[in-house]
Amino acid sequence: MAAKSYNISELDNKLADRRYHLADSNPEFTQKILKTSRTIANMCYQCGTCTGSCPSAPRSSYRIRLFMRRCVLGLENESLTDPDLWLCTTCYSCTDRCPRDIAPTDVIMAMRNLAFKRDIIPKNFLQTVQLIYNSGHGVPNNDVNRAARTKLGLPADPPTTHTYAEFIPGIQKIIDHYELKANADRILKGD
Amino acid sequence: MAENTEPRIGVFLCHCGTNIAGSLSIDDVVNYAKTLPYVAVADQYQYMCSTPGQKKIDDAIKEHNLTGVVVAACSPRLHEPTFRTATREGGLNPFRFEMANIREQNSWVHMHGMWDEATDKAKDQVRMAVAKAAKLEDLIPKSVPVEHAAMVVGAGVGGMQAALDLASAGIKTYLIEATPTIGGRMSQLDKTFPTLDCSQCILTPKMVDVGRHPNIEMMTYTEVENVEGYIGNFDITLRKKARGVLTPTEATAKGIVGGGCNGCGDCTDVCPVIKPNPFEMGMAPRKAIYIYHAQVMPLIYTVDFDSCVKCGLCVEACGEKKAIDLEMQDEFITVKVGTAIIATGFDLIPIEGKKEWGYKRFDNVISSLEFERLICASGPTGGHLIRPSDGKTPQAVGYVLCAGSRDNTGGVAKPYCSRFCCMYSLKHAHQMYEKIPGCKVYLFYMDIRSFGKAYEEFYYRIQNEGAKFIRGRVANVLEDPETKNLHIFAEDTLLGRPVDIEVDMLVLAAAIEPKEGANVLRKKFGVSASQDGWMLEAHPKLNPCGTTTAGVFLAGVCQGPKDIPDTVAQAEGAASAASIPIHMGEVELEPYFAICMEDLCAGCGMCVNLCPYSALALIEKEGRTVMQVTEAKCKGCGTCGGFCPGGAIKMQHFTTPQIAAQIDAFFAGGVQ
Repeated sequence: MAAKSYNISELDNKLADRRYHLADSNPEFTQKILKTSRTIANMCYQCGTCTGSCPSAPRSSYRIRLFMRRCVLGLENESLTDPDLWLCTTCYSCTDRCPRDIAPTDVIMAMRNLAFKRDIIPKNFLQTVQLIYNSGHGVPNNDVNRAARTKLGLPADPPTTHTYAEFIPGIQKIIDHYELKANADRILKGD
Repeated sequence: MAENTEPRIGVFLCHCGTNIAGSLSIDDVVNYAKTLPYVAVADQYQYMCSTPGQKKIDDAIKEHNLTGVVVAACSPRLHEPTFRTATREGGLNPFRFEMANIREQNSWVHMHGMWDEATDKAKDQVRMAVAKAAKLEDLIPKSVPVEHAAMVVGAGVGGMQAALDLASAGIKTYLIEATPTIGGRMSQLDKTFPTLDCSQCILTPKMVDVGRHPNIEMMTYTEVENVEGYIGNFDITLRKKARGVLTPTEATAKGIVGGGCNGCGDCTDVCPVIKPNPFEMGMAPRKAIYIYHAQVMPLIYTVDFDSCVKCGLCVEACGEKKAIDLEMQDEFITVKVGTAIIATGFDLIPIEGKKEWGYKRFDNVISSLEFERLICASGPTGGHLIRPSDGKTPQAVGYVLCAGSRDNTGGVAKPYCSRFCCMYSLKHAHQMYEKIPGCKVYLFYMDIRSFGKAYEEFYYRIQNEGAKFIRGRVANVLEDPETKNLHIFAEDTLLGRPVDIEVDMLVLAAAIEPKEGANVLRKKFGVSASQDGWMLEAHPKLNPCGTTTAGVFLAGVCQGPKDIPDTVAQAEGAASAASIPIHMGEVELEPYFAICMEDLCAGCGMCVNLCPYSALALIEKEGRTVMQVTEAKCKGCGTCGGFCPGGAIKMQHFTTPQIAAQIDAFFAGGVQ
């Protein structure tokens, strides 16, 4: 249908037709998610057990069920550009309880991978990449932690790359193989 | 047909609409069939099973003087009888017919992009069928008389209805029930949806009818031990479990005049052993000598020998009636029946296996059957609904629908819909509003399946009464350790918002599964199970009461989840089907039995022990030992024929020359 226009872009945008149209769907997106997530994401029947189990949902606008629905319908842009995509804590409670035996967590991970390919990723995730690259830890040891460890009679640093820094180059090699660090630096610089 | 004439075979290909014609070239196969040896005519039609299709067979037999007919179509399980009839109509022996299954075994499994390969395979199948058809022989089916009696296993509402129908049609009917009383699950219910009939008020009169029907021999506390025989002549051995109590009839037979159990209950008053009553879902006590409830049929007490301490107090209390025999042993009796109906019903799944809902962890999480007993006027609380933790009347109750149904995670969960939980949960909501004014009811659902007559209207009524429907499956349940109240966590998917709803009590509408022991029983009757575990009907649409064992029928939930109306309807259907062979008086058996060629038989007897149906025996004949087949017992399985070291056993319709011809045709011919 030809859209009516008020010739005022702000108003046109505000009153735009937001119904779902078949053209919004990209069936290949569903297939890509199935392949990447290795779970039967197309079989979701929207019971809501995932959102009901989700520790993130009560405190945010994140609704995992909505992402499952978008996956079934192939709503690629809506899925990948929604900032809620990054609110999953990957606790896997939804995966434990899904009655259709789907792994919604893995669907979210697949969508995040596809979003990253479009350079869509929150800053803090990229900073984590840099931390791991430099220290081997997503959450490196800090003074508070060191004090607590000492108090418990443990060495201040755990027996990880913090103690054996010689293994850090190995970790860097893996990250470089996937060009993760280079991409993180590039995207962060562009911001 | 004269012997020694050259075989003349007619080949007919069925399109089955597009079921076959959509996946392979019918024209190619027909043209190919015309080139095969012995083929006098090859033809095709859209639906061979229809009247015009059958007419083609009829006409071709006459016109081309055929000696054999091949139809390449669907599975013989569906239409072999149809085409045999058409073959007979044309003037041939019906066993001069051979079927090539080019649907289930070809087009349906090679549906996508395998046109040429499927066509080639169909050619192979037709060539082999023609080779066999050229060697088919005339066979005459045997008729056997049918015993004028039937058996119904399971005396719930389905089994009782089936038994009443059979008995009223003049057939002696044995009604077998494993528990001490008839009535089944329905007798545990308070009310029935959507009419809200009192379950007891509509069931107990039927129980009485069963008890006094002259053609029904009701055998409670009895199980099927062994089944032998075949349609028309089943010999069924029953285990009459030791009940420890004599009926008045049994007492009289033993010479105790005026004795036997009169249901007075004096014994139960003195019995010192207390056990949970399974009829009350373990929520009320019973003694070691007990009845389930006051309305049992027959009103005869039963001793639970697993818990009886044999103190003898009950024997004393019974006194002159001398009804109690603490030394009673199981008895075995064998009855002969023509047909049998299985109506074994269901159990709830052990819903504690779904740990997130807290059943058996939290006091106030109960199953739907426990709720039925708690709200039932004749239940352990006299119909006053209380919650288990503190005996208080719950003011807010939640219901989890699809609790373990429609769930593909395995374990205790079931992938199917249990079909009546939506409706009884609506009924439970209604009963709450009826008994506890001002209460709050929350139903957590995925879909409300109110498909039956007047069901959707019932849904409307319950919503109007105030029930809150929350469209979301319950994710988990936590208990407040102080109040023992429950927090239900779910997403209201229509609101798009997680919810945390506090209730006093939670009812799980647990999925159902086949009755414990049903698997063992069905194997005794040779009945298969479908993938979901329920017993398998002969055809889901056209033969929903029959099984693949001739003369054995199914009624009620043992075949798949059903509510009461559907169970009763199927029971009447099964009774009707089971009465047909009995009223006909005799049945035709397929002439597939083995034949011993006595001049080749060495009398070694190895086949006798191999036969799974005890159909073979060694006999003395003209000074020699030879094997003899009881034709009515033989199912034509071929075990003996395949084994016989002397090649002395001929399997009719599957003879060695016939099968060898098929194999030869497969290897010798084909796509060059």
